[in-house]
Order: sequence, then C-alpha cells, then structure tokens
Amino acid sequence: MMSEQRENNSQNPSGPIGYIVGGGLKANLQARLSVPAQSVQEGAFVVVESGGWLFYGLVTDLQLGSTDPRFADEQTETRLPAQLAGLLHGQTLFTNLEIMTALMMERGPEPGSPEYDAWFQKVMDEQVHPEPVKTVPQHHAEVRLADAGDIAEIFGKEGEKGFFRIGNTIEGGHPVCVNLDKLVQRSSGIFGATGTGKSFLTRVILAGLIKRDKTAVLIFDMHNEYGPDDTASDTGFRVPGLRGKFPAKVRMVGLGAGASIRGNNPDFTLEIAEADITPDDVLMLSQELNLRETTATTLEALRTSFGYDRWFHAFKHMQVNVFEQDEESGKRVPAEGSVADWAEGAGVHPSAAEALHSKLRRLFNAPYIVEKPASNALQQMIENLDNGQHVVLSFGKHETDLDYLFVSNLLTRRIREVWERRTNAFRSGHQGAAEPRPLVIVVEEAHKLLNREMASQTTFSTIAREMRKYYVTLLIIDQRPSQIYDEVMSQLGTRVTGWLGDADDIQAVLTGLAGRDSLRGMLARLQPKEEVLMLGWGVPMPILVRSRRYDDAFWEELQGKSTQRSEREILDELGF
Amino acid sequence: MTEIEIGRLLRSGTTGFVIGCRVNQLEAPSFGALVRVPLESDYQVFGLIYDIQIEDDGLVRQLITAQDVPEEVLRDNRENRNVPVEIGVLALGYQHGERIFHLLPPRPPLSLDAIYLCTPAEIVRFTGIGRFGYFRHILRDRNKPVEELLAAHLMAARSAHEESGNADWYTQALQELITLMRDDYQGLINVLSAASDI
Ligand SMILES: Nc1ncnc2c1ncn2[C@@H]1O[C@H](COP(=O)(O)OP(=O)(O)O)[C@@H](O)[C@H]1O
Ligand SMILES: [Mg+2]
Repeated sequence: MMSEQRENNSQNPSGPIGYIVGGGLKANLQARLSVPAQSVQEGAFVVVESGGWLFYGLVTDLQLGSTDPRFADEQTETRLPAQLAGLLHGQTLFTNLEIMTALMMERGPEPGSPEYDAWFQKVMDEQVHPEPVKTVPQHHAEVRLADAGDIAEIFGKEGEKGFFRIGNTIEGGHPVCVNLDKLVQRSSGIFGATGTGKSFLTRVILAGLIKRDKTAVLIFDMHNEYGPDDTASDTGFRVPGLRGKFPAKVRMVGLGAGASIRGNNPDFTLEIAEADITPDDVLMLSQELNLRETTATTLEALRTSFGYDRWFHAFKHMQVNVFEQDEESGKRVPAEGSVADWAEGAGVHPSAAEALHSKLRRLFNAPYIVEKPASNALQQMIENLDNGQHVVLSFGKHETDLDYLFVSNLLTRRIREVWERRTNAFRSGHQGAAEPRPLVIVVEEAHKLLNREMASQTTFSTIAREMRKYYVTLLIIDQRPSQIYDEVMSQLGTRVTGWLGDADDIQAVLTGLAGRDSLRGMLARLQPKEEVLMLGWGVPMPILVRSRRYDDAFWEELQGKSTQRSEREILDELGF
Repeated sequence: MTEIEIGRLLRSGTTGFVIGCRVNQLEAPSFGALVRVPLESDYQVFGLIYDIQIEDDGLVRQLITAQDVPEEVLRDNRENRNVPVEIGVLALGYQHGERIFHLLPPRPPLSLDAIYLCTPAEIVRFTGIGRFGYFRHILRDRNKPVEELLAAHLMAARSAHEESGNADWYTQALQELITLMRDDYQGLINVLSAASDI
C-alpha cells in the first residue's frame, strides 16, 4: 500500500504527500508523510481536502517518528537484507509534518455537475472566499502541495485588481501576489538583515505601486538607491532607478542647491527655509546631537524672543565668546549680539544657551538650510504628489543620520499637516474639497526615525498609529526591527521579512501575530538572500516567497508587454 | 494432477487437528506445508503443518538397548510400527462452494478423513485470496515456533506464487506481517530474521 502510494507520487507531482493523523486548531495539525521526507520542506504551502472544505496551511516542522522507538534505535539494515529492511522501515519509521492551518474555503461541487453553475456564480460574486480556519479536517484527509490555482485563490491572480506578483513559492515556483491596495491601506514594513534584498524588493514593490498609480509615493532615498540608476555592489550589474523607468511619473529631488545625484541632475532641488524649522524639529534631534535637558527651555525662550519664523535665523547669527567693556561699570560683559547677551536678557542660563548653540552648529552649517530658498520646493513636491506624480528625495552627499532625521521629519510633518487639513475639509464636506490622494512615505533605516526614544516625537510614529485616517501611510524598510518601537511594529499591516540573524529582531517582526512560535523557526532558517516570509494583516496568511527578481525581464513584464497582456485577456474572455 | 494423500485424521478440534500416517508415507508432508481435508463435496478445511511427532513404543525401546539386532529387523520395526507418526495441523480456513474463508472452520474434520497435501495451484488460490487473514491463526499461538513456521510457509508459498507469475505476493505478505506485528518488536525481528534465511 505504502509503496503504491510512493509510486503514484513520483509520477504525479500534485498527488497526495500524506494524510492527517492528529493535531488541532490550537496546536498545529499532524500529517503522516507518504513521500520521501526530502521532497517536502519547511514553509511548503499545503492543501488539505476534507468534507467539502479545503484547508490551507504551511508546513512548520518535519519530525522523524517510529511506531516503536526500538525500530528507530536499531540499525536493522545491517541485520536484514535490503528488501526486508526497506519493507520494515516503510511501515515502522515515518516522517510527520506539522501543518499550521490558516484558512479554509468551501470546495464547491464538481465542475460539470448541475449545482456547479450556481456555485460558480457565487464565487464570481465573491460570496465564497477563504476564511480563517474554524474547524479541522478529518483523520486521514489527504494532504497535497498547493498548485498555482490554490495560491491564486488565496493570494489573488496576477494583474487583477491591484494584485501584483511579489515572487514565487519556494517549492512549486507558483506566482504569489500581494494586494497593493491593501499594502498601502496601513503602514507596512520590509525587514531583513543587510544584504538580504530589502532594497531590491522595495524597488519591485515601488515599481508596482507607481504602475498601479492609485497612491502617491514619496521616497526618502537616504542612499540614493531608488531614484537614479545604480550599480549593484555585489554583482556589478546596472540597477535601473525609478526615475529613468517612469520619466513622466517620477520626480527626483536633490537635497541642497546644485545637488547632483550619482552624476544626474535632479528635476529640482530642495532647500529648507530657516523659517520652517520649529523648536520641535530640533528637539527631535536630542539623541543625535546629544542635547541637554535644558534645551527645551532654551528653545522656548528663543521662540518667545524672536518668533517662530526668526528664532533659528537669529540664533544662528549670534556670536559666542565675544565681550565688550561695559561703559558704566567698566566690567567685561558679553557683547551685544552674542548668545550670552541674549540669554541674560531672556532669563536663560548663558552656558546652557552657549552649549545649545555649539551643538546646533552642525545644523547652522548645513548648506541646504538657507534663509530664503530659491524656490518653494516643498510646495512643488506637494503639487507633484497631487498631480499623480511620485517624488524621490535623494539625499545626495548629505548622507549623515542628522541630515536624514532632520529633513525627513521636517518634511513629513509639513506634508502630513497638509494632508490632515485636506482630509478634514473633505470629511466636513467643504465646497470643492476633493478626497486627498493617498500617500505612502517610504523610509529606509526606519529604526532611526521610529525607535523608542523618537517614537513619541516624530510624525512617523503618529502616521503609523493613526493608520490611514489622513490618507498617509508608511512603507518602512529596516534591518533592525527590534529597535523600532513595538507600538509602531504592532501597527504594521503587511510585513515582508527576509532572513534575520538576531532573535530579538525575529521576535519584533512577529509582534502581535498569531502562530509566532511556528513562524519563528521558519524565519530563522530563511535563505540569506531573496527569500522572504510575507505575513500580517495585509496578506491572507503567512507564506514563504522567493522574491521576484528585479532585472530587465521584470521591467519588460511590467512595462513592455502591455499589448500582449490585453491580447491574452481578450482570448480569455472568448474562452480560449 | 495427482492427489497426494498424507494420512488420515486422528483427532480434531476447531483450531487444529492431528493426522496419523505410516512412516513410509512420511516422504510427502513437511513442516510448514499447506494441507486440506475434503469433508463434503463442497466443503473442505485447510491447515498448516506445524509439528511432526514420532512417538516411541515398547519395542523400539527394547531394540535400542538390545545388541546385534539384524539390519532387516531394524528396518522392519521402523516401517511397520503399530504407533502412527503424528502430524499437527493448524486450521487456517475453509472452502465452501467456490468461496475461500480465512476463518476457523465451522465444523472440524472427522476421524479417519483423508488428508491431502495442497498443490501449488491450491496454495496460490488459498493464500492469494483476501488480505492474508489466515496469518491471524498462525500468530495466535506464540507457544508454537511461529517464526520458523512463517518462514517455512513463506518459502513454499513464494515459489508457488512466483511460478504462477505473481512476484509481488511475497512482498505483500511481508508487509502484512510487519503491520500485524509492529507492536511486538522482538517477535517481528525474529520473523524477519527467519525470513532472511529463506
Ligand atoms: N529581487 C532581487 N533581484 C535581483 N537581485 C537581488 C534581489 N534581491 C537581492 N538581490 C541581490 O542581493 C544583493 C543585496 O540586496 P539589497 O537589496 O541591496 O539588500 P539589502 O537592501 O537588504 O541590504 C543585491 O545587490 C542583488 O545582487
Ligand atoms: Mg538596502
């Protein structure tokens, strides 16, 4: 019997690989494997058919078992002829699969049966769809590997309503799609240790989002990876940037006058007006600039003295360590226009003010902070985002954490304010107030912006927490998810994660998800590159994916074959 | 096909019976051989030889202790004994009409019924039907040398099946034995060790 099954399977790859022998909803299901253990791997997507239902699950473990431990302990193959040993092992030694079931769906009548048409209509009307598992399959229900149709049933068909292929299943190589509309409906994250392919996968997803064109995308491109063409550091291959591939859709903005991004001129440059900098923007840099506790008081005094618009400019141009002779007393006193002079007048401790002044020198010296920017680039960016375009802000040579924190926070705060105002206008039914265009803000090195210390202060964590209330969500990319504030992590809808070496990072990525224990091991054993686990609210169930390759073929499929696709669609409609 | 009669029934019960035969009939039956006892035109009982006993009698004892007994006397006493050779048979099933059952026979054979050795075709027929249900009867009584009995039976039946073109029978039989015995590690290993000698 056993050997019959084996033979069947080697001839027919979609045949059963085993049958259910135990388990439950809380613990995972157990299935006895009827094919050689090596033909199934952890993370395999399997389907169990039972009683009119299809159960979908992931293999989370493989365990060697025996009917009696002595059969496992004794090397009977050395005592018995090969044929006998083979027969004995076939019946006494086995492999059990542990299956984490996630979804179930009604199977429906056989095609061609009288009930099938009514059923099919229900499927088309989306009255029948996968739902969370609420029961278990029967004993001895057959387990098989999912085929392309099963995967499409759960994860969506490529090209349909925002379903975008993000990769393929590891085992069958079947296409796995992500629902782009759902991906941006809440904030999402892409994680993985350095070199696991986060940036490449992000390029793939961004290309999909831009092509889909339902959402505006704003990318804070700290390392100049996404806008301009690039060269892969490991393979030396050319990596096309988004600007070149979507010349009419993507605006590349350089930070600072005269910025050049990998030898390209940006569409325009961004300078930040001194008047736009608030005391909060500075406070947020407390960690980075090692600011003291007195800073808040000093900043508040500056604002009172000079007003929101002028405080930065005024402070920047104050002098330090200059003294003059007091005419009346003849004493040496701080010169007029010095920090100490102002501090004394404003009731602030002069040494605190001087310390702050010295620590802000890095900002005072930042060439992209100017009194009067040549153009209102921020306004220009907002207009671009409104007009169906997407913006990549390339940091160019300003690659320090300070530049990144300061600029991305300031811009995000300003942009979110605009979106909030618009949303409120739209919601309260103001005349002519249009629905805001949904916006996704993409940030690399997200832990720098969303760590525990920053989380209370930055606009980013506000956005992550309020979901899509104001039509703005985040796509965060990070290699150290454990350093991201857990309240932010738990708000992330879709999480796509490559290999992570650190147990804390693994833990963090799984924050707030069901089946953590089963997924933890799977995550730790991912391939070091181009293999990801996709999970969270935005995906129907967790799944292991071999990332879609970002190469010329990718672009051809995305852009070049639009005519062929419609041809195929026509043929499909005609029933060919 | 010639029928080989191996003896007549001495005693019987539901689970088995004992055949008596003359020493010169003893060429044919062997340990592990399949036999049948036709009772009525459409009813016969099948069994497996598990034991062959040669009892002593007073004369044999005397002859063994006596000196210089002529060769003819020895031979005469061997071949023309008063006490029959006793052959123990385990009941494995029966045939009623065309159907073969691997169940214990409803009625045991009666005294002096003739017993025949099964031909290869009969072996194939009896052991090939169903799913080796008759193994139950062999495995029931662990006081018998079960491993040896099974090995002898498998050897005989395998060659009968192979001659009839069914090479798989042996594998299937072993598989069934493993299934039946996998909770008895030592017993199963003994059976497989015996089988590996055939
Ligand atoms: N989807 C992909 N398509 C093509 N190459 C990839 C892909 N993912 C990873 N790679 C390869 O792996 C290398 C590292 O990927 P990268 O995205 O830079 O990693 P990370 O951003 O996680 O540090 C790339 O230089 C590239 O050669
Ligand atoms: Mg990267």
